[in-house]
Amino acid sequence: MRRRAIIQMIVIGVLAGIVTGGVAYFVPWLPDAASVQAGLIDEVYWFVAIVCVVIFALVAGVALYAGWKFRVADDDMDDGSPIHGHTGLEIWWTAIPTALVVAMAVFSGINLSRAEALPSDARVVEVTAQQFAWSFQYPGVEKTSGDLVLEVDVPVKIVLHANDVIHSFWVPEFRMKQDAVPGIETTTAITPTKVGEYDVICTELCGLGHSVMRAKAIVLSSEDYAAWEKEAGGGGGQAGGTGTGGEADGKAVFDSAGCGGCHTLSAAGSTAEVGPDLDTVLAGADEPFVRESIIDPNAEIAEGYQPNVMPGDYEERLTDEDLDALVQFLLDSTGSS
Amino acid sequence: MTTTVHEHLHAGPEAPPPRRRRLRRFTAPGWFRVLWTVPLSFLLATGLVAGARAAFGYEPLLLQAVWLTVLMVVVPLGFLIGIGGFDYWARYVSGRPTLPEDHSGHGAYSWKDYFRVNTDHKVIGIQYVVTTVVFFIAGGLLAMFMRAELAQPGMQYVNPQAYNGLFSVHASLMIFLFIIPAFAGLGNYVIPLMIGAPDMAFPRLNALSFWLLPIAGLMMLSSYFVGAFAAGWTNYVPLAVQQPDGNLMFQMGVQWAGASSIMTALNFLVTIITMRAPGMTFWRMPLLVWANFATSTLVVLATPFIAGSQFFILFDRVLHTNFFDPAGGGYPIAYQHIFWFYSHPAVYIMMLPGFGIVSEVISVFARKPIFGYRLMALSLMAILILGFSVWAHHMFVSGMAPWLRIPMMVTTMVIAVPTGIKVFSWLATLWEGRIHFRTPMLFALGFVTMFVIGGLSGVYLGSVPIDIHVSDTYFIVAHIHYVLFGGSLFTIYAGFYYWFPKMTGRMYNERLGKIHFWLTFVGFNATFFPMHWIGTRGMPRRVADYDPMFGNWNLVISIASFFLGISTLVFLYNMVVSWRSGEPAPSNPWRALTLEWQVSSPPPVFNFDEIPQVVGSPYEYGVPGARHAILSGNGHRTAEGREAAPMEETVP
Repeated sequence: MRRRAIIQMIVIGVLAGIVTGGVAYFVPWLPDAASVQAGLIDEVYWFVAIVCVVIFALVAGVALYAGWKFRVADDDMDDGSPIHGHTGLEIWWTAIPTALVVAMAVFSGINLSRAEALPSDARVVEVTAQQFAWSFQYPGVEKTSGDLVLEVDVPVKIVLHANDVIHSFWVPEFRMKQDAVPGIETTTAITPTKVGEYDVICTELCGLGHSVMRAKAIVLSSEDYAAWEKEAGGGGGQAGGTGTGGEADGKAVFDSAGCGGCHTLSAAGSTAEVGPDLDTVLAGADEPFVRESIIDPNAEIAEGYQPNVMPGDYEERLTDEDLDALVQFLLDSTGSS
Repeated sequence: MTTTVHEHLHAGPEAPPPRRRRLRRFTAPGWFRVLWTVPLSFLLATGLVAGARAAFGYEPLLLQAVWLTVLMVVVPLGFLIGIGGFDYWARYVSGRPTLPEDHSGHGAYSWKDYFRVNTDHKVIGIQYVVTTVVFFIAGGLLAMFMRAELAQPGMQYVNPQAYNGLFSVHASLMIFLFIIPAFAGLGNYVIPLMIGAPDMAFPRLNALSFWLLPIAGLMMLSSYFVGAFAAGWTNYVPLAVQQPDGNLMFQMGVQWAGASSIMTALNFLVTIITMRAPGMTFWRMPLLVWANFATSTLVVLATPFIAGSQFFILFDRVLHTNFFDPAGGGYPIAYQHIFWFYSHPAVYIMMLPGFGIVSEVISVFARKPIFGYRLMALSLMAILILGFSVWAHHMFVSGMAPWLRIPMMVTTMVIAVPTGIKVFSWLATLWEGRIHFRTPMLFALGFVTMFVIGGLSGVYLGSVPIDIHVSDTYFIVAHIHYVLFGGSLFTIYAGFYYWFPKMTGRMYNERLGKIHFWLTFVGFNATFFPMHWIGTRGMPRRVADYDPMFGNWNLVISIASFFLGISTLVFLYNMVVSWRSGEPAPSNPWRALTLEWQVSSPPPVFNFDEIPQVVGSPYEYGVPGARHAILSGNGHRTAEGREAAPMEETVP
């Protein structure tokens, strides 16, 4: 009798597990995999998912079946069978889960070390996070880019820095994520496998602009990457820092300093609404006002906005030339002078 | 004895108060005294800050951060002095004769008694439960605002800073002012009864720990006046230091709530260790008592860590120390270690009492002994110990020492084993039982299935590679709500319904209870299950705005959450109306064996007219002739099925 009850319980649970596990398998839980690391993480994900879904179905199946089979009317006055325990069963349901979690932990550990393994000569990209923008610096490339540009199939060591608070670097298609912490350097590894454009998303709450702190991760073919590298490294074109003013330089500074992360400016194509709309608040402004608003944002707060939100250290972050170019660009593009 | 106290108390309010007595109201403990002690303490604090700053020549005299900090220490003390939290001790310390203990602080005879410092654990239990439900409603409304904002991509109703404030205050209220103290409230009411004690070990401390709670809650809510804290309930530095002064109110609110928690936990521990009825050995304690024993140990050991972590931020903000500021040699990740060293055990503080409640409910409504009682108790202790070894699984992507991830992954996965033992044992308790689907049982079974989802998604998160992908996404939001809503809240509902007859002396409406369960169960799953999916697909958490590709799912989630919010009204209506005019409850409507059901509903002022003699296990359903305890008179019963007719109301 008791043995039959146990066998029944197990059979019901296993059947429910197989059915539910089968259904779960066909749900597209994860986004496209576009890196070597994504493949490794997905293997672990599916292994754990199947184990967990089967266990869930076992529990839910037994609970539902018991509820259906052993239900009695409200006025029933009898008690159930006085079963106090079953040492054998208790040993099994301690031992099997232990074996399963050990298996999951070992598999996770192996794939983690494979995902993070990098050749010693891996290309290094220095990533700097600040409220609320990303900037990316490449070896031998002068330009600081507002987007992450990668070469397909080339392993990259991402080195993260944070200027103000903790941010977190995540590209869902690459699966890898790492916090950027002020005061220390953190790293992660990415080997992109698919040419395309993905989102770089900040996943650690970093203040009011957190939800708009995004950049693009652009994976290029080898030829395109070489071309991009040449263009960026040549110091001409869009590169900022060496110019003497003018629209092209100022716009580059606007992009790389992350202004567009918070402010709307039609000339730069940005539409963020965290901070004041520059098309409006700078219309008709003079040069000293624009300059002061950048280097000392609390000096005058636009109506409806709070102080201490915009970083106050742009005077140190930007070179004098960049600052001049940025001010000029803002004056030009808002029709002020 | 009961009757005497009753008459004694009624003599007071009914006599016409002489003139002098009216004035004495302002010196006697209570709200009249609060009327002047609070303004006085406010002035004192303000004077202290202004005076000290003037003496040193600092400008401005009332720097907001300093002023607020001092106010949040002094004004609550003023309130507690006014309401009478320290009267007995003040008399003792000052050498005046202490008031003879006439037990006038016991029992509640009108609604007004719930607004006084009362030392009766049953009154305090109800004070706790009602207060926490008020904060539960406040926290729930904040969640509704959040879902309104998230229903569509783009910003509609609030700005991003206000949005960040919504989820921060929501989480803080739900954790510190609802789940943790709601369990403390239920425990307060039930534990002394369950172990056959007349009250808690330290009744005055018990009263004081309750009155700290509304202080903490109001502090967190009133942060809206100076800019709500918006760095999440985790309050990570350096963001926390950069936030408006509302952040101070989180830091101080946590101190008051934490002190309340620690004091209650100490009280539980001493009560459970020293005040068990004769014969109530540890291995005859109901599992709820075991669970609160484990929980209280966790609270006492872990809570000082969050208190410390928030004090450090407070010092960084107000005293200009550099615990966490890298510019001054501080280390931001140190904060996370200290914070999670409390806040992971806190998950078990919010879970273990629920395990206890569910063990009671399932055993009673399946009419069977709890399966594997000793292993159930031991697994609680295993979780207690292992719970201290897993905290860094919240930090797999934080930039902490990389090697630490592997041992933390292993311990995190291993803690699933004792938890699994409990789940399997509940299922085995159902098997071959005679199951009554009363409302508490529905919530208990809802808990078992939903908590398994939360526990298993916890296994996903324990695996470092998976965690790297889903950390800080909506998957986490789904996980935490399956654990704290599907887990803790379902057990709190089960506990509320299960002990409602005992606490109020009236039956709740069973039909409304069942409707409440089904609405909540469906609304809960429709709200939180899709969050797993949008999380793994790439939606980060704590965002005021999101990629339009998640727009449809967010709309579905928002609609489901409003449905879930409305279902709470059914619960509130049922509780309020049943409390006022429900059917009178018999002493033992569930035919349970534990001691609280062997006395009248509600119990006499001192719980037991005679100390019960415990002679056996509390779960011997279906065992012929077995008994848990012997009480003379109407209180006793055997465990034999057919004799276990519902008890008649004990005549007071």
